[in-house]
Amino acid sequence: MADTGAASAPKPSSSVKLVLLGEAAVGKSSLVMRFVNNDFQENKEPTIGAAFLTQKISLSTRTIKFEIWDTAGQERFASLAPMYYRNAQAALVVYDITKPSSFTKAQHWVSELQRQASPNIVIAVVGNKADLASNDPPPSTSAPISDGDGIVAVPTDGGEGELEDEEETIRKVPVRTAKAYADEEKALFFETSAKTGHNVAEVFTAIANQIPETALKGPRGAGGAQTQRTEERGRVDLGVRESGAKEGCAC
Amino acid sequence: MYAIGDKYIVPALKEHARRKFKRYTTEEEMTVSELMEHGFDQAVKLVYTTPPNYRPLRNLVVKIAFKYQAILVSSESFLEAIESTPAFRRDLFLFRLTETSSNAMFNLSSLVQKAQQFIDPTLSPLNPGSDRRPSKATLFRSQFRLPASQNPLQEITAELTLAPHHTQRGPQNEGSRGEKDGTRVQGNHYVGKLHLSEQYLLFSTQGSSFLNTASLSASSAFTGQTHGAGPAGNGFILPLCAIRRVERLPTHSYMFALAITTWNGSGDGKGKGSGSSGGQKLTIQMAGSRQQCERFCDGLKKGLREGVKEVENLRAVVSECYSEFLLSELSDEKGGPENHDSGMREPPDTGLGKIYKYPGNVRKLRDATKMRLWREEMKENGRNATLVRQPTFHKLIRVGLPNRLRGEIWELTSGSFFERLQNPKLFEETLKKYEGRESLAIDEIEKDLNRSLPEYPGFQEEEGIGRLRRVLTAYSWINPDVGYCQAMNIVVAALLIYMSESQAFFLLSVLCNTLLPGYYSQTMYGTLLDQRVFESLVEKTMPILWEHLVRSDIQLSVVSLPWFLSLYINSMPLIFAFRVLDVFFLEGPKVLFQIGLAILRINGEELLDATDDGTFISILKSYFSRLDESAHPNSENPKLRAVTRFQELMVVAFKEFTGITQNTISEQRAKHKDAVLDSIESFAKRTSIRNLGPESKRLSSNDLGFIYDRFYGVLYERQQRLQTIQAEADRKTKNARTKATEVVTGVPSNTVETGRVGLGPSATQMDYDTFREFLAGITRWAVTDSPSTPLQDSQSEKQHSYFGNSLKGRPVNLSPWGAGPEPTDHEFMKRLFQKWDKDNTGALTLQNVVAGFAQVKGTKDIMSNISYFFELYDDDGDGKVDREGILRISEALLFLSRRGFERSLSSSPSMNDLQTQVSSETREGRRENRDEQFLSSVSAFIRRCFEYADPDQQRTEGEVKEAAAGIDNFSIGDDEDDLLDLGNNEKPTSPKKSQSPQTPRPNQAAANAALDPNNPLFITLPTFRMVILADEVLENFFDSAFSNSFKLFDPSIPSSTSLSANLTTFSNAGAPGRGSNVTLPVGGASAGVAAPGKGIRGMLDNIVSDGMRVAAEVRRRMDEAQRELDRAATGRDEDSEDEHDDLRTPRGKGDPETRSVMDTDRELLEGAETADVGVSKPVENLMDREIGAPAPVAESTKGEELFER
Repeated sequence: MADTGAASAPKPSSSVKLVLLGEAAVGKSSLVMRFVNNDFQENKEPTIGAAFLTQKISLSTRTIKFEIWDTAGQERFASLAPMYYRNAQAALVVYDITKPSSFTKAQHWVSELQRQASPNIVIAVVGNKADLASNDPPPSTSAPISDGDGIVAVPTDGGEGELEDEEETIRKVPVRTAKAYADEEKALFFETSAKTGHNVAEVFTAIANQIPETALKGPRGAGGAQTQRTEERGRVDLGVRESGAKEGCAC
Repeated sequence: MYAIGDKYIVPALKEHARRKFKRYTTEEEMTVSELMEHGFDQAVKLVYTTPPNYRPLRNLVVKIAFKYQAILVSSESFLEAIESTPAFRRDLFLFRLTETSSNAMFNLSSLVQKAQQFIDPTLSPLNPGSDRRPSKATLFRSQFRLPASQNPLQEITAELTLAPHHTQRGPQNEGSRGEKDGTRVQGNHYVGKLHLSEQYLLFSTQGSSFLNTASLSASSAFTGQTHGAGPAGNGFILPLCAIRRVERLPTHSYMFALAITTWNGSGDGKGKGSGSSGGQKLTIQMAGSRQQCERFCDGLKKGLREGVKEVENLRAVVSECYSEFLLSELSDEKGGPENHDSGMREPPDTGLGKIYKYPGNVRKLRDATKMRLWREEMKENGRNATLVRQPTFHKLIRVGLPNRLRGEIWELTSGSFFERLQNPKLFEETLKKYEGRESLAIDEIEKDLNRSLPEYPGFQEEEGIGRLRRVLTAYSWINPDVGYCQAMNIVVAALLIYMSESQAFFLLSVLCNTLLPGYYSQTMYGTLLDQRVFESLVEKTMPILWEHLVRSDIQLSVVSLPWFLSLYINSMPLIFAFRVLDVFFLEGPKVLFQIGLAILRINGEELLDATDDGTFISILKSYFSRLDESAHPNSENPKLRAVTRFQELMVVAFKEFTGITQNTISEQRAKHKDAVLDSIESFAKRTSIRNLGPESKRLSSNDLGFIYDRFYGVLYERQQRLQTIQAEADRKTKNARTKATEVVTGVPSNTVETGRVGLGPSATQMDYDTFREFLAGITRWAVTDSPSTPLQDSQSEKQHSYFGNSLKGRPVNLSPWGAGPEPTDHEFMKRLFQKWDKDNTGALTLQNVVAGFAQVKGTKDIMSNISYFFELYDDDGDGKVDREGILRISEALLFLSRRGFERSLSSSPSMNDLQTQVSSETREGRRENRDEQFLSSVSAFIRRCFEYADPDQQRTEGEVKEAAAGIDNFSIGDDEDDLLDLGNNEKPTSPKKSQSPQTPRPNQAAANAALDPNNPLFITLPTFRMVILADEVLENFFDSAFSNSFKLFDPSIPSSTSLSANLTTFSNAGAPGRGSNVTLPVGGASAGVAAPGKGIRGMLDNIVSDGMRVAAEVRRRMDEAQRELDRAATGRDEDSEDEHDDLRTPRGKGDPETRSVMDTDRELLEGAETADVGVSKPVENLMDREIGAPAPVAESTKGEELFER
């Protein structure tokens, strides 16, 4: 888990606006819930418009405060989405690995974001409900997921088998397909389970590491792809950091 | 017309009248004859036809009339003038009241309101430029929250007299009221308007008039400040079935006085004790001419008779109202010692609260006290259907409703009671009707059932969840356009705490339709719009805060959106949210804004320190959580200390923001509507285009955007047109009824503006007719040659001038094709439609259309174009096209080319020979030349096709030989033909027209064994390809001209409505069709279709009519011939109609020598008739002649022009 609430650290902190998008009932709110409260709840108040939560995450050199906009998934709320992803520095596009339609919808969201959101937005494609297909070891992509652009990637848990035979019935979106798509779109990719907590913190950490510190450093260099916590080498100008709470805002 | 009158007539009249009236006022004494001589009666009428802004003039008239009333009363014509000008009557009446105000018998506040209205008569200059104005009927319904079936039938100024309030007289007097009918000695008096609709008798002090003669501003006056009384003001809304009797009272001071006895109590036997209150009586004095009063009473009588039928409904509906129980309980108590199990009925369902407790502390809410007050109020003033609203009523609502009455009062104030009364069983019936059915909405509902107000115990159990499920499901069935939207679950859950399922169902319906229009729609445009409105109100009222928000880049709507969407229910603690709802249902949507503004105002200081969304949200969150605390905890004054934050909020909302009226909201909505819809639409467009699938990648994004715009544009326009036509028809049948938009909501009512993407679900599929219109918009060949004369709107202006300017400035175009070019109908279009309709649904989706275009335009490969075309005609997909198909292909080629192509077909050098004087004619000539080439190419195509066709199996040897011989002959002729084509450019158009579809068939049939219907043959794709490629013109056609004939996005088009700028929304692209009349495609194709000047046009028209005559003759003959010949070749007849259409115009062009050509035709036909299968030579000659017959160039040029038109 991320060091939730490790706010006391004297490390510089900056806030990052993150938006969750995805079809209804893929588990967006549950992911946030898991991340923020390390909790899972079957019945939660539905998200009207969007829910707003914050959570801090401590990296080695800085603290990132996520301002999380958890949007409503119902199709008709889609037209409200621009209001929420406006100025977002990161986006979690969530789909349900057991529902192909949700993956399609996720792709739509990715392209919407690429066209309409802030240019440097960090996108993570997240296949949730991995626990449902858990009897299969999360397959393939055994190597750390990364690409030339230095997108930080996290290997899905080790010891993975190759074929998805057993899960055929439950899992509908193969990891390979989704991964290939994410690579193509230069997005991060994870499979998570909000229920078990699998990979949830990792997603947010990876995103945190991926946020370009626009004002402070140049775009993150290539090869920054390690595992969970990329070592952030210091060289951080504290003053700028602090005033840069709103860094990355396009406006 | 109204506006014109406004501008021109009135100033003149004003001038004139002023001068005239000066005399009246200066001269002391006048006689009737003198007055009439001066046309005073006429003047009255005239003055009152002016808009009410000319108030001074009216006042003058009133003054004079009052002054000379004694004399005037004796004048017939003056009475008549009164009769016909209700506004005058009203003013007179009021003037009289003010003059005689020494009696002080009328309610002062209502007069103040009247006065305000007079001072500011143009209270609702709602978007003056807008041509969408609400109808009187709409305003009427909105003011009283009546069902859509109600229309204002009668209205009259009246004074309502009520017995003095019970509390003023002391409790011992109860039950003895109502005895002093007809006297104006005591009691409360209200001056206002008495209205009659089909099923209701209404009285309101909110002065407004819905008479046809009244101006709109008078009708919409209620959108101004209502001082807490809500749009219906003080008064009553009586269902006619709730009136027990009406008596006419003898009176001296008024012309008519009625005593209305309401039907109180549900009439059950136990009600005997309550007999005293059952006789609730209202006294109404009408002020108007005798005639008018009588007319009103007649209408009332009729309505009452009708109303008898509904008494049963009323009984059923009322039995669900707690008030009935409450009052019967009361009478029982009175009747004897408390005896709960003897005569007591079961109390009606007052929501889940009865089982699971109502939220909040009963004692703290002072529920019992409130209940007692309401009981008294209702004993005095009637209950549910018969409640008379007096100021106490509104005050009682402001302090919060008691739990068990809350549902009922919500129902009454929101108007959902009337909906329920109209169709009491709708809820149960809907559930039954759709039992067991599934839908997307139901899936969505199920997902949220467990998470609707989960903190309320009732919704943790099946009892509450079941109710919620049933209400939401039933609503999703009766309004599938809305279906289910998240947040509805929360709102309905809240309602269900206080009311029965059925009540909640109707209230939800009123919420979605009237109070929160578009909030829960597919696009949620209402929500977005109101957010925009809210922001602009914040900017206006709290500029500093607004400035701060902008600077800190905090988007207000992320905070306020849930407030509006769920009516504060999940923002505030429930008890407070319900208090807001109490007022909201009475006063309307403006309350949401007032509360929202007050929240920001109260927290202004703190909010100014917030620099990001997070802080902003948390400030408000903590504010909401402390609403029950003291607003002034440190105050010395204990009274001030006792004021809670919530009370403070209410005070700020309704005192400080009292200026936020429904009118404000309407104005703002109208102002922002387009921008909001545009942004929704551009979002929808973006999304839609991106999701069109892989085929769409073959088209440029500009093209996709264009297709999208056109696609929805056409659908939208058609829908609009249908509605206009429908509305027009309606209007003809019922003049009083018009469809118009809601001013009240500021959002167009669904009836008018459905179809616009941003408004929610709209048509997404094109049927064939729509497709034709769509094609006509983007191609030249799909535009008809013989447009039917557009229907003129012959309705006299006068007839609909009264319903306002709703149609002003937008001439009603009743043509079924609207302003755009009228499409033709051709088999090719049908084939294209079928081909694109991949799933055989009989309709095209945007995806179908895009996929279709991707195939036609997405490739630059001539080979695939050829195969595509071939496939269009390969009906069974076996790779063969038979004779019929070949002929059809040729027809299609001619059809497609009949207007020529732009810079697509290379022109031969010989064309330079064609020199005509006028440059445009040169162009025409050139085009003609190309057309001719095309024509000969097509004929060559037919011949070649048959030449290279493969015979179908079952042919005999001899036939084959004969066929071969025929083919030989043909090929010779072919060569000659080609030579001729190249050499002789003066060929007339006319003869070749005769070659078009119909005629050649018989000839060829006669000429060639290959054409014999008895000898089946077919061509394959390779053959087809070869034949096409053998001809340069056809090659060209398939290379580019065909796909270019579809005009999509073309940045080079300079045409006025700069396309590129309009790309974002289809509504813009659609606009040219309606507005500027520059239809894009035609503009784009202007090269050839330049509209002829009027002079030419007149000439051409003559020629056309002449030509049509000839064509008709030819058609007759051809039909004859056809009948003889085509017994075998059937199935083509359905198209012949269109082909004739196509023929008609070209026929006409040649005029004099068309006739000579006709002769050839006749010969041709005769030849065909007699020809027998074996003889090929003569027919070949015929064909030569047909194609090659010379004619003067000039003539054909002229013809071409006509053709182009």
